[in-house]
Amino acid sequence: MESSFNSYQSLKKWKEEQIIKYRYDTNAMNEFHDFTMKAVFTIASEQLKIERSPSWRFAWFTMGSSGRKEQGFLSDQDHGLVFEPGKEEAEAYFLQLGEEISRGLHEAGYPYCEGKVMSSNPLWCKPLSKWKRQIQAWMKEESLETIRNLHIFYDSRVLVGKEEYIAELKTCIHKNIQKCPHLLTRMLETSMHIKKSVGPFGQLLTEEKGEHQGELDLKHAAFIPYVNAIRILAAKEGLSETSTIDRMGKLQKMKCYEEEMGKYKCNFAALLEWRLQSYRQSDIYDDTHYLQLKSLLKSERNELKNILKDGKKLQRFVIRAIEKSEV
Amino acid sequence: MDATFLMNSLWVMLGAILVIFMLGGFIMLEAGSTRMKNAGHIAGKTIFTFGLSSLVFWAVGFGFIFGDNANILVGLTNFFYSGAELEEMGLSSSVFFVFQLAFAGIAITIALGGFAERAKLSVYLIFTVLFSAIVYPVVAHWIWGGGWLAEHGKQDFAGSTVVHLTGAMAALAATILLKPRIGKFNKDGSANNIYGHNQVYTALGVLILWVGWFGFNAGSTLTVEDGFFGFVALNTNLAAGAGAVSALIISWVVMGKSDVPTMLNGALAGLVAITASCAFVDTWAAVVIGFVAGILVFYSVRFFEKRKIDDPIFALSVHGAAGVWGTLSTGFFATPELATVGKPGLFYGGGFEQLGVQFMGVAVSGLYAFAVSFIILAAAKKVLGGLRVSEEEEIMGLDLSEHGSYGYPEVFMAEENKRLSS
Repeated sequence: MESSFNSYQSLKKWKEEQIIKYRYDTNAMNEFHDFTMKAVFTIASEQLKIERSPSWRFAWFTMGSSGRKEQGFLSDQDHGLVFEPGKEEAEAYFLQLGEEISRGLHEAGYPYCEGKVMSSNPLWCKPLSKWKRQIQAWMKEESLETIRNLHIFYDSRVLVGKEEYIAELKTCIHKNIQKCPHLLTRMLETSMHIKKSVGPFGQLLTEEKGEHQGELDLKHAAFIPYVNAIRILAAKEGLSETSTIDRMGKLQKMKCYEEEMGKYKCNFAALLEWRLQSYRQSDIYDDTHYLQLKSLLKSERNELKNILKDGKKLQRFVIRAIEKSEV
Repeated sequence: MDATFLMNSLWVMLGAILVIFMLGGFIMLEAGSTRMKNAGHIAGKTIFTFGLSSLVFWAVGFGFIFGDNANILVGLTNFFYSGAELEEMGLSSSVFFVFQLAFAGIAITIALGGFAERAKLSVYLIFTVLFSAIVYPVVAHWIWGGGWLAEHGKQDFAGSTVVHLTGAMAALAATILLKPRIGKFNKDGSANNIYGHNQVYTALGVLILWVGWFGFNAGSTLTVEDGFFGFVALNTNLAAGAGAVSALIISWVVMGKSDVPTMLNGALAGLVAITASCAFVDTWAAVVIGFVAGILVFYSVRFFEKRKIDDPIFALSVHGAAGVWGTLSTGFFATPELATVGKPGLFYGGGFEQLGVQFMGVAVSGLYAFAVSFIILAAAKKVLGGLRVSEEEEIMGLDLSEHGSYGYPEVFMAEENKRLSS
């Protein structure tokens, strides 16, 4: 992967040709996405009319599935910028850079984020000092919106620049949680909804209407419950890993989780694999969240059912763990 | 004049008022289950077609159903009914007329439910006249006017077949000829949800229908004697309740969510089903009949959708499937004490005889209503150059395309408001 690119279009073309090679390996797939996104960053920096002063240090980080190294073939963009506090020109520069990156990612085949979690949004593009204040304010306010922002931020991973900035911001969160474990309860309360996917008689529940009739919504029924539950445990234990599998690996080594975590880790790995395998060339972003059940063997259906049921169990397990820590 | 005659007249008049008020329920139910851009049209056409069908009923409908000198299809006296007292009624004949007129009005309203959101206004007009003249009266004559099904002892106390099935079969003919609404089905055959614009309207519509049903069923005793209407009302309410409960349960069991429109359909299906049997069965049977209707309606809706039949307000399932079940149910549950018409049902030692009569009644009546409605609509399609509004008009909404105004002007005339305020 050493090619250099001079336009987003050529990058997109190259990406589309190459990506199919990584269809059996989530890790390699995500390294490939990292590489592509970094290339977007390089092109974006070159596109800007203003030069970046070498003294303006910064970190460009991704969040969402990219932050967790869980991207499939297609995913939208979630990213932010943090930079050295101080000069006003720097602030203007990075916001412009953020806009260019977002545009570039979009052109390279990463659709804009509907929730506007992008470096082009001043909320996600700030000097370090303001970031710290913002995170403190989020934790203090504890509203649905600010806690959800915290959830999103907690998966951030630096792609370009200084990793220390993000580490420092996450340390703020960890310290706060130690002082006030109630924050974990809020994180839990704001991420409890699981789309129902197994009926009272153990049947798999699929979409009733629309283009995905008869398909199972993997994203909302399976991925999100696992990801959210594990993120809360990671926040509780102050883990620095961002990928759900790595977080589970770390948790597995801790005494209070070692018993349960193995099963959940296997489940999640299977989910990642399934998503890659179910990809069809004609898919657009929304399609990749759905699994066609017709193509599954009976044994696979049962496995899926167990994974979905375990998602609920994992949630209950996390609720108990958080309740205990609050006492 | 004796007191019973007066009491009967009063009671049935109250029933007529309740049944006519059910139109309010249909307005809310249909408008709530469809989109805003058609709301004014749906509300307005319900009133208009009731008015029109009243005139047709007065001119020919009543005479066809209850007149003397009957042939195999209809009676042939009492056209342009004068209000004169008829023999052996036990209540004011004019009251009886108004009561029957109300039933005919409900039948056409059910039928027109299948036209929702895409038929031309002129089609409503033509179909209302012809349905009220030659579809409904024939079935009503057969079963209630002393026709051949009545002679077989066909049990249909208040009209599961006469009113609901007949209306639903006409709706089926219409949905088939009209084809699905734009956007209902995708190319790959999957269905989309075209959400109704106001679930509160829909629920309130169901409640109004539920209350009106006491006029429909209990009023059909046509007499206050022995207070039997109370028992009919009791059975009616039990079946509605059981339908609501079973529909909610089945939607939760199958889809994993407690679906409100399904539950509302369940209550209505319970009411439709108990309409035939409310005077012939025990209370426990009323609960069973309603319960089964609630489950049946859920599967019926899915059945029609799978076959790409677009039934916007579920008329086929609520009135059709439940109407069939309700009519057959007396063949199982009618008790020897209560079966004043026909014989006891299968579960009471009556064997298959009554069930056979019920089945024949459903099959012949349903087939007749479907075939004649289909012919009327197919002919109308030829004459009018199509039953549907144009694609453009359908998208624009029937409020504007058929009436030039809006049920919700503030929403749809926002452009106008913008212009004025700028």
